[in-house]
Amino acid sequence: MSMNAYFRRYWQLYALLVLPLAYFIIFKYGPMYGIQIAFKDFNFFQGIGGSEWIGFEAFKEVFGMKDFYLTLRNTLMLNFLDLLVSFPAPLIMAIMLYELKSAWFKKLSQTILYIPHFISWVIIGGIVYQVFGTQSGMINNVITGLGLEAIPFLTDKSAWLVTYLLVGVWQSAGWGTIIYLAALTGINKELFEAAGIDGAGRLKKIWHITLPGLKPTIVMLLIMNLGHMISIGFERPYVIGNLAVRDYSEVLSTFVYRIGLESGQYTLATVVGLFQAVVGLVFVLGANYASKKLTDESIL
Amino acid sequence: MFGNKRRNGIPGSNGSKKSLVVLATACSLLFTACSADKAPSSGGETDGATSGKRVTLKVEVFDRGNSPDGMTITDNYLTKFVQEKFGDPNNIDVEFVPVPRSEEVEKLNVLMASGSNVPDIVFTYDPNTFNRYAKQGGLTDVGPLLDEHAPNLKAFLGEEVLGYGQFEGTQFAVPAKRSNVGKYASFIRQDWLDKLGLPVPQTTDELYDTLKAFKEKDPGETGGQVIPMGMTIASAQYEPLLWSFIKPLTEEEQYTLTQQLGSNDYPTLLPGFKDGLKFMNTLYNEGLISKDFGLDKDKKKLGEDVATGKVGFYSEDDINPFYENGSVETLQKNVPGALLHSVDVFTNEEGKHAKPMYAPNGMYIMIPKSSERSVEAIKYLEWMATGDNLFQMQNGIEGENYTMVDDIPVAVENPTEEALNRLFNGGDMTIISNGKQLGSMEKNLKARALQMPKQLLEQVEKAQEIANTDVIAPVLMNRPIEAQTKYGTTLLDKFNEMIVKTTMAKPDQFDAVYESMMKDYMSSGGQAILDERKEAYKEMQAK
Repeated sequence: MSMNAYFRRYWQLYALLVLPLAYFIIFKYGPMYGIQIAFKDFNFFQGIGGSEWIGFEAFKEVFGMKDFYLTLRNTLMLNFLDLLVSFPAPLIMAIMLYELKSAWFKKLSQTILYIPHFISWVIIGGIVYQVFGTQSGMINNVITGLGLEAIPFLTDKSAWLVTYLLVGVWQSAGWGTIIYLAALTGINKELFEAAGIDGAGRLKKIWHITLPGLKPTIVMLLIMNLGHMISIGFERPYVIGNLAVRDYSEVLSTFVYRIGLESGQYTLATVVGLFQAVVGLVFVLGANYASKKLTDESIL
Repeated sequence: MFGNKRRNGIPGSNGSKKSLVVLATACSLLFTACSADKAPSSGGETDGATSGKRVTLKVEVFDRGNSPDGMTITDNYLTKFVQEKFGDPNNIDVEFVPVPRSEEVEKLNVLMASGSNVPDIVFTYDPNTFNRYAKQGGLTDVGPLLDEHAPNLKAFLGEEVLGYGQFEGTQFAVPAKRSNVGKYASFIRQDWLDKLGLPVPQTTDELYDTLKAFKEKDPGETGGQVIPMGMTIASAQYEPLLWSFIKPLTEEEQYTLTQQLGSNDYPTLLPGFKDGLKFMNTLYNEGLISKDFGLDKDKKKLGEDVATGKVGFYSEDDINPFYENGSVETLQKNVPGALLHSVDVFTNEEGKHAKPMYAPNGMYIMIPKSSERSVEAIKYLEWMATGDNLFQMQNGIEGENYTMVDDIPVAVENPTEEALNRLFNGGDMTIISNGKQLGSMEKNLKARALQMPKQLLEQVEKAQEIANTDVIAPVLMNRPIEAQTKYGTTLLDKFNEMIVKTTMAKPDQFDAVYESMMKDYMSSGGQAILDERKEAYKEMQAK
């Protein structure tokens, strides 16, 4: 087929590609022009082009800041703990949903589990405050009502960590089941029947059929999650965090917000952003390499 | 910035939504930055109006999202008033550029960096932002323009207020003038005192005893929910308490040890500050303030607790509790017979009720260097300060909005919807003034009190009087302190963190927590500010 005929035949497919391509060029590649701010003494009125080059000065400054290491540590810590707690949650939930016999109950539970995903973090923050507050939170009202000591869910560092993680599970686990449920539909039903005839109980079936069936998905998701250890969403730590637990709740994204947008030090904010991007790239490439070794699947 | 794209790589997972805010801000930041490099032309003062051609003057306006039906923030009674009385006679189209009030600084930064669509008149409450713009050379020197075109404006503002708009000796901003500099008063449940047969506390020590009595005897019958003293991590609640612990200062100490973070002075390094924290620590550990005060940044919870009758005593912006449907009115609805009286309690070493006051200036009004309408911009401000223009913009139409009683405009009771809507943005349009200006502080305060519900007038007037008693004036340095511009926002966070952590520490750990927070504060910029202020003070002395 000549080039001409080829295009005449498939141009619609290429036309469909234009929008996503434009999206990536405008929103992902375009802004990369701004990376140079990290190496310049950014001046609002001179713009990027007019600002003076300062080499690695800003990097030196950022790497000399105590708060940078604190937020870096917290980012890694929160992400790692999130991985431990939030990663298995949807898996367990998906298996439980899969085991349900009653179709309408399954649908109902699924819907209820999804709902938190659609609630904005700002609203969740308000709910968390009302529920977990020490002075007049719902839970502590019950605890003090029983004559016990109130638990500072939000103002004690360790208690806050648990609150943070569990709220994360509550918000995202239901939504996370989708991908496992999709993978589960791919498992051959005959395997379960055969196992049943051989006398396998429910737990044996889960252990020997369901879990192995999900293994590729689990490994894949785990590796992809590892690739994002260095980046963290802004809203969750910002909204749930507070001054009393700042030692744990201040992360790179909130750090960037504070020094960049609030203090107008765009150069420093860009340095942190660039640092995150570079480390993130290393993580993703590493994860990809690991994936290739372990599962023979890779993105690149 | 680029790393925040997505937390989980799973298609359709929840990561993308969460990071949207960061991503969006990052994008806008970078984009506007991109387009900025072609922008600024060097043009400063060009005469547009004299050429006879009709020109457009763009003026920033705060948008609080409260425009009544049929009006917008850029098209309403006052914008038409401005166009008719100032624009048309001078052959100028006045165009208003809305900026959301809640993200004033962020949005202004983005506007300034975009270069192309910057309003000719911009403003901010944040002195750091003003200093940063001035330092980066982005502002027009308005000194000569004021001399040439704005005699009324200069007279209206006065030397002292104008001084706040100078950066290294150059007049880079026109500061607005405040009609009232009083800041804080305290409030106590008089009905609780009456019930317990207690006198109104006059000193900090007496207050402590009163709070303990509130806690033990629970006169509000809250069922153990009583919060003897309302506290938050907003300045109105902790400042009156902390400043009353500051010891008398020498002039040198004032200049060198004060730390200005944002628009307020902070007492972090002043002698006595630690005692204040220690007192808060005691209050907390004895259950006299809310366990969750450190979570209450926006005073929402405090307002709720006051209105539901749980709080016995608290400090607040002087007339804040008295607004229509505000704390007091809601409280009296919830708890019949509740009385919230204005009191002045916190006492310093000298027996004075020392508390901070506002600087005499309000916003910093600036003209970007790239503006070609700087003359018109100054003329606009001059027009506002001339004759009764400001008065009309603040008070509306006589008979419909107000009637004159003893030279003071008093709001008409039950005004028509039209009259009410006329002034919905009055405070934000009259940029040269914070609050109503009637020629003297006394009249200003009177007018301010008369806006409040009538039955509360007595307490309002008392609160205003308290707010202006024994006030501590802000320290004005003769040159900008660069470290303050740079570290101000970070240190403000650290300052609040220090209050929260030292207050919540176990009494025996107080010293250790204080030491470590102080160390952190100093190394995060506190020391840099101290050094620079010492140097600036030396220069002042040498002159």
